[in-house]
Amino acid sequence: MGFLDNSGDIILDVVLTDHGRMLLAKGDGSFQITKFALGDEEIDYSLYDKNHASGSAYYDLEILQTPILEAFTNNASSMKTRLQTYTNLELLFLPVLRLNEAISINDRTENTVASDNTFIVAVDAATEDGNGGSTDTGLAVTSAGKVRKGFMLGESLGGSIIKVDQGLDTIEISPKRRLDDDLKETSYILQMDNRLGKLVDTQGTLAAFDYIDDDNVAYYTLDLGDTFVSEITVDTKDSKEAIRGPRGTRVEFRIQSSMDLNTSSFLFEQLGALTTLADSGTTGAASNAMFIDTNIRLTGIKTGVMIDIPVRYVKLA
Amino acid sequence: MTFKPLNENDVVNTRTLLHEAIPLTGSIVSGSYVTAGAADNLKVYSHGMFQTVYDYPYLSSSANHVFDVTCGVSSQSGLAIVGTGMERKKNNIYGQMAQLLMGYDVTGSVQLFDEDGDLLAVGEKMKEIFVMPFSRLLVKDEIKKQTFSMNLDISEFGGSSTDPNWGQGFAPADLITITDLNASTEYRVNSPAGDYGILYATASAPNVLDVNETNHIYAVDDGAGGTNNYWRCGLIFYQAGIAVITGSVFDSLLVGNPLADFYDGDSLATSLTDSTIDTLGKGLLHRIENIQFNNTTELNSTVYFCRVNHNEFNYSSNPTYLEDSRIRVKTQSTDEPVSYITTVGLYNDRNELLATAKLSESLKKSPSTEFTIRTRLDY
Repeated sequence: MGFLDNSGDIILDVVLTDHGRMLLAKGDGSFQITKFALGDEEIDYSLYDKNHASGSAYYDLEILQTPILEAFTNNASSMKTRLQTYTNLELLFLPVLRLNEAISINDRTENTVASDNTFIVAVDAATEDGNGGSTDTGLAVTSAGKVRKGFMLGESLGGSIIKVDQGLDTIEISPKRRLDDDLKETSYILQMDNRLGKLVDTQGTLAAFDYIDDDNVAYYTLDLGDTFVSEITVDTKDSKEAIRGPRGTRVEFRIQSSMDLNTSSFLFEQLGALTTLADSGTTGAASNAMFIDTNIRLTGIKTGVMIDIPVRYVKLA
Repeated sequence: MTFKPLNENDVVNTRTLLHEAIPLTGSIVSGSYVTAGAADNLKVYSHGMFQTVYDYPYLSSSANHVFDVTCGVSSQSGLAIVGTGMERKKNNIYGQMAQLLMGYDVTGSVQLFDEDGDLLAVGEKMKEIFVMPFSRLLVKDEIKKQTFSMNLDISEFGGSSTDPNWGQGFAPADLITITDLNASTEYRVNSPAGDYGILYATASAPNVLDVNETNHIYAVDDGAGGTNNYWRCGLIFYQAGIAVITGSVFDSLLVGNPLADFYDGDSLATSLTDSTIDTLGKGLLHRIENIQFNNTTELNSTVYFCRVNHNEFNYSSNPTYLEDSRIRVKTQSTDEPVSYITTVGLYNDRNELLATAKLSESLKKSPSTEFTIRTRLDY
């Protein structure tokens, strides 16, 4: 997409998204525009210079010069960051999402991002644990029966749990202070590539998606009170908490590998590559593995907060 | 809150007609793309029912379909078709075009093309016709009334049939201009194919068309005490995007200037009886100096008025908006929050993004500003 001409009057470049066109073609009434949101994904607010020597007219000079691209038709590429309405105009802090890598689930699993800074999903039994842990032929489970850090067992649904915490991540406000209801997120949308994996809760129960778009991205809605979203009740400084200030809610989930990844290497050949990973043995011998890198996006519906979580699906070659 | 509902006062439907000028010069039609004596932009078919004109050699992916050309002779014509092969297909073409464009009378018989569109009166019928269906790429939804114009050379054939580079001389004295005169107010609606207008020829020289043929003459007051004479020579079907030209413009026994050589040594009458549709089509194509019309696209739009009040959308979830959860654009809590709008997203109830709109420059939003962003979706 090119940049829009910004030399004259402000123009508006409007397109239907590919998903919108798909719904329009379906003709089942699902193409019904009922609301709008505003986005600012091109804006880099770090350019806002509130100490500019020439005065307030210059604070946002660089921001206002930001060139704007033409509209993308890919629905997943647009409106990633949205403007928010809060009735309180005196807010100085807003909530964020933070990946919580500090909580131990049990003695076998520690929810730490693996060395490649990504969660790793072992997509089949052989990749999880070659032969029941008696030897170290798999990638995820050691001969001692422990799941390696950052590994999820895509077939047997164990291992690491992805935890995301919401709240004010600042040391300027005590976690003892209660997060305003306006700022506490109660519903999330989770997007993940449906060809690669499915969303399961920490107990291994499969979640139902809302819809799958034209790019095979599945959208799940997670609400406070279901098995995915819970309130963070700890209000003290705690090494197991990712949010340093007032805390809101936590999302926890695992990933089940898709049947395609579990039984076939086709998608690995199409979308992935080959790498060498140390196997789970004490010797750290290398094993050839196929992998696909992807992201899972979690977005708060009320507060618009968003985080992209890197995930790598691996399968022994 | 991220989303704002649109209520019934925020949505309005409109209809707009969009027009484009379509100029087709004669060099596009013939003479520009020739290889080994064959026109590369003219596609002929083994069935011989019509030919297709492209704006570029048709084997190229850059080529666009411009129009087709074919020829029809009514079975009620006084001309007797010679031969039983390709030559007879002119009858089939006439029947097909007549039933499609003129429809049937109360007895179920196909009506002939009528010179003035008055089907009930026993008027002049066009029994030998050239048909030019224009491609949808050019016509879009329809041809705009009173914009059609075609300059046609009606002089004797002046070249070799084996040389597709050949074109008529287009001398001013040999040219007639065919237009849908006054069609914006004088068009017909008695066709099953939609609105149509009468095509009139104006001659650049008086001897080209016989002004004594009063049956064909349409006299219009010139506003200065005299009259301008126009000669009815065809019909143009606006929604169908088809021009029908009577063969009489070249060689009618009724007019005073019949062509002895329409194409390759044959008069039009001989060509109509003895020649294939392809041969007749070539005779026409080489005589086209210029075609021009405006097309029409009917845009049905839904306008969404996205109203942004002073107390709305003043914060952002952009990760750069915060530094350690603290808002960058504020120093203290009493400072006004500001945000910048670059995109409008339109959603359904399930939060599915159906359309996006980009502003050409960012709009600064603060509690002291309000906007109404008019977002139009065209269908």
